[in-house]
Amino acid sequence: MTLKECYAALGGDYDEAMGRLRSEKLVQKFVLKFLNDGSYRLLCDSLASGDRDEAFRASHTIKGVCANLAFNALLESSEALTEALRDGKPPQPGEDELVARVKADYERTAQAIRAYQEGGAG
Amino acid sequence: MKNKTTRFLITSLIGVALLCVCVFSSFAFHMSNQSALTINEVGTLYMSSMSQQISIHFESIIALQMGQLRTLSGTISSDAVHSDRELQEELIDQAKARDFSYLGFCGREGTIEMLFGSQVTLTDPEPFLESLGQGQQKVAIGTNARGEKVILLGVPSPHEPTPDHDCAALVAGLPVSYISENLSLEENSERAYSFIIRRDGSFVIRTADAYRNNYFERVKVMYEDVNGITPEEYIQALTAAMAQGLDYSNEFTMDGERYHLYCTRLPYSEWYLITFMPYGAMDTIVNGFSREWGTLTVLSGAIILAALLLVFYKYFGLTRQQLREVDEARRAAEAAQKNAETAQKDAEHANRAKSEFLSNMSHDIRTPMNAIVGMTAIATANIEDKQQVQNCLKKITLSSKHLLGLINDVLDMSKIESGKMTLNMDQVSLREVINSIVSICQPQVKAKHLQFDVFIHDISTENVICDSVRLNQVLLNLLSNAIKFTPDGGEIHLALYEEESPKGEGYVRIHIQVRDTGIGMSPEFQKHIFDSFAREDSQRVHRTEGTGLGMAITKYIVVDAMGGAIDMESRQGQGTQFSVTLDLEKALVMEEDMILPNWNMLVVDDDRQLCESTVSALGSIGITAEWTLDGESAIEMVVKRHQRGDDYQIILLDWKLPGMDGINTAKSIRRELGDQVPILLISAYDWTEIEGDAREAGINGFISKPLFKSTLFNSLRQFTDEPLASQAAEGPEEKEWDLNGRHILLAEDNELNWEIANELLGEEGLVLDWAENGQICVEMFQASAVGHYDAILMDVRMPVMGGYEATQVIRTLERPDRDLPIIAMTADAFAEDVKRSLDCGMNAHVAKPIDVDEVMRLLAKHIK
Repeated sequence: MTLKECYAALGGDYDEAMGRLRSEKLVQKFVLKFLNDGSYRLLCDSLASGDRDEAFRASHTIKGVCANLAFNALLESSEALTEALRDGKPPQPGEDELVARVKADYERTAQAIRAYQEGGAG
Repeated sequence: MKNKTTRFLITSLIGVALLCVCVFSSFAFHMSNQSALTINEVGTLYMSSMSQQISIHFESIIALQMGQLRTLSGTISSDAVHSDRELQEELIDQAKARDFSYLGFCGREGTIEMLFGSQVTLTDPEPFLESLGQGQQKVAIGTNARGEKVILLGVPSPHEPTPDHDCAALVAGLPVSYISENLSLEENSERAYSFIIRRDGSFVIRTADAYRNNYFERVKVMYEDVNGITPEEYIQALTAAMAQGLDYSNEFTMDGERYHLYCTRLPYSEWYLITFMPYGAMDTIVNGFSREWGTLTVLSGAIILAALLLVFYKYFGLTRQQLREVDEARRAAEAAQKNAETAQKDAEHANRAKSEFLSNMSHDIRTPMNAIVGMTAIATANIEDKQQVQNCLKKITLSSKHLLGLINDVLDMSKIESGKMTLNMDQVSLREVINSIVSICQPQVKAKHLQFDVFIHDISTENVICDSVRLNQVLLNLLSNAIKFTPDGGEIHLALYEEESPKGEGYVRIHIQVRDTGIGMSPEFQKHIFDSFAREDSQRVHRTEGTGLGMAITKYIVVDAMGGAIDMESRQGQGTQFSVTLDLEKALVMEEDMILPNWNMLVVDDDRQLCESTVSALGSIGITAEWTLDGESAIEMVVKRHQRGDDYQIILLDWKLPGMDGINTAKSIRRELGDQVPILLISAYDWTEIEGDAREAGINGFISKPLFKSTLFNSLRQFTDEPLASQAAEGPEEKEWDLNGRHILLAEDNELNWEIANELLGEEGLVLDWAENGQICVEMFQASAVGHYDAILMDVRMPVMGGYEATQVIRTLERPDRDLPIIAMTADAFAEDVKRSLDCGMNAHVAKPIDVDEVMRLLAKHIK
């Protein structure tokens, strides 16, 4: 599995990431590091504990990372969730769906990266 | 009103003028009367005194003669002893010595016994004798033997009458001429003359031309008019006055000349002196005076009239001016009223528009909300059916996006209406703007199978000063409308070209045209296209989504905010074209020195304009190019040159060509020439979908339309054999951003983001330190040596302390370098976020994902 295929699998834009980071090595480095990023865990935890401000920040961070790495699918869903959580808004109907979508997209992304990792290693 | 005043003025002017004439005429008339009276009075006065003089003179002459006569009479009494004879001789001697012409004794019967001189008869003896009888001296008139008149003086005799001496008085006679000469009754220098008459009118002494014996006869014949009465009445009046012993004065006309007469009684006699004087002299004087008077009167009348006229004229002018002023004031008042009415109408209109806006808004919001609510219900009901739920969610997403778009538009609109929309002017690359627009539109274009052409013509200035967000908004609005209203398989054409701006050297005029072959608009709707909530309400467009605010916002941005113009041409069923014209300031950037080797190139595109413009753009970067419109002729040209041994260095090939398409053309060329000539595909479409086929056909690369000069340069640079050229091209950029070794503090809560930023910016030569949140950032800055950090890159959303607060804290620190550049880096790229970061004291704002060039540019700009 190539890095490009990995990007296709996780719904990202490889060319855009290359354009920004300028070398495949760098892209690879940061894509792999994405799995270690604690923001997603923070998001899940704070949502579970009902800390919406913290959840907003975490979602915002995910959005920022995805924008940098051109993980467009997760970028889009995390952006929607960020807006829903912005400014301490009370829970809106449909918010759970947004969270579910972020989770789905995150899993998809993480899976693709893991697959790449294994493919690359193997 | 004006006429009324004028009429009043003219009437009163005429009235006053008439009054003036009347007053002055009566005045003149009165004066002339008065002068006649005055003449009369003066005449009377003068004549009376003259008559008096004559009368006194007469009296003194008579008294003198009487005295002589009394002396004679005394002789008689003292010489009583003398005999009559002696006495008579004595008397005659003495009388002759005293120049008497006659001397005699008058008997009581009136017979005169002459002592010497011819016999004299008394003309009217009775009053004479009567007076003498009473012992009075008397003068009377008599006639001598020759019938000549003689003045007789009588002195009563001193002797008692005796029977033989019937002597009543001593009578002496004098010729009439003696009296008249002594009294100078004849005409003198003043042409005055006198008569002496008796009471019956008979002349005692007559002078001048009088030849009748009686004055009254003369009066009756000669006098034409006696001051308004007939001559007969005059005679009666005169006779009456004489009888009463009064003086009489009057005027009369004789021979056309006016005379004054004065009659007075003479002493010692029954005679009357009538003196006449012609008015001639006095008339001349008084008439001259009168004429002067008249002239003066007329003159003063004229002066007063003239003054009146002047006053009236002035007043008239004043009135007219006042009228005019009043008129103006009224007109101004009317205008003001009209303005007020217009303003009220506008206000009402605005109010109505607002109500309509609200009701439209409610409707427009309800539609997607209904969809969301409905779909949510369906999804909930079919929660187990994954397919169904996914379908619902898709629709909900669409509706939500629509709702979000609507709300964004409404926010923009309310900003526009409250005048709060401001432009964020910055340097903008038209190439980037068009590229991003094209990439945004591509998915929709692809989905509707539209033919999308982007055409760039003669763009010499790529970098301008403009609000890129708003410019994007305008383009996106126009393009999304074009896409929305163009049915599947239609065409959309985006053109951009430049010309000189009338605003001067520093500006460039940009024309943007968006043309489609869509459903077009009805003429009625075209009038309202730029109104809020305008959407053609017909069956065809009912399904089409939109807020109806897009064009209103577009127009506001282009026309009101950017000072440009927007035009539109549309025909129902044929399509629509929007043209936007903007005068933008040229950005003062160092244009890269874009020069490539002198290659020969071939451009193949079915759009002649695109070919020409591309060839000209290539020419400006040092490349000689030819063009052709279809694949077949392109192959011919390529083969011809190949046979000459003068191959094109690079071939640019459009993907969509009439007849043989780009890929097939490429295949043919490869068959003829082999692989040595690079072939690049040019297209406005997404490269990925055709990349496989294209690579297979031997195409080496892809250049996306629009073909800006820099697009061409950057795409072709890789084919140059001299790597120096490309380095040289990048050279100036690096020089521009010479930030090697600068210390930057980066506040970022996410490690991954920090690493990316550190990696990318470190490559540019910056030395970065990481602060995990705002609090740590402040602490690190405080702990650093003054001037150590050249700038801070600040994430906004961070735990513990956010970027806004951190910036505010840093700005209030007691450090000389507290105003170092702070640049916000955030994924929130709304205009409000930009504004808020600037309000907090940050110097600039850059959006995530990180764009190294942009960050470097901003750092270079703000680090001194």
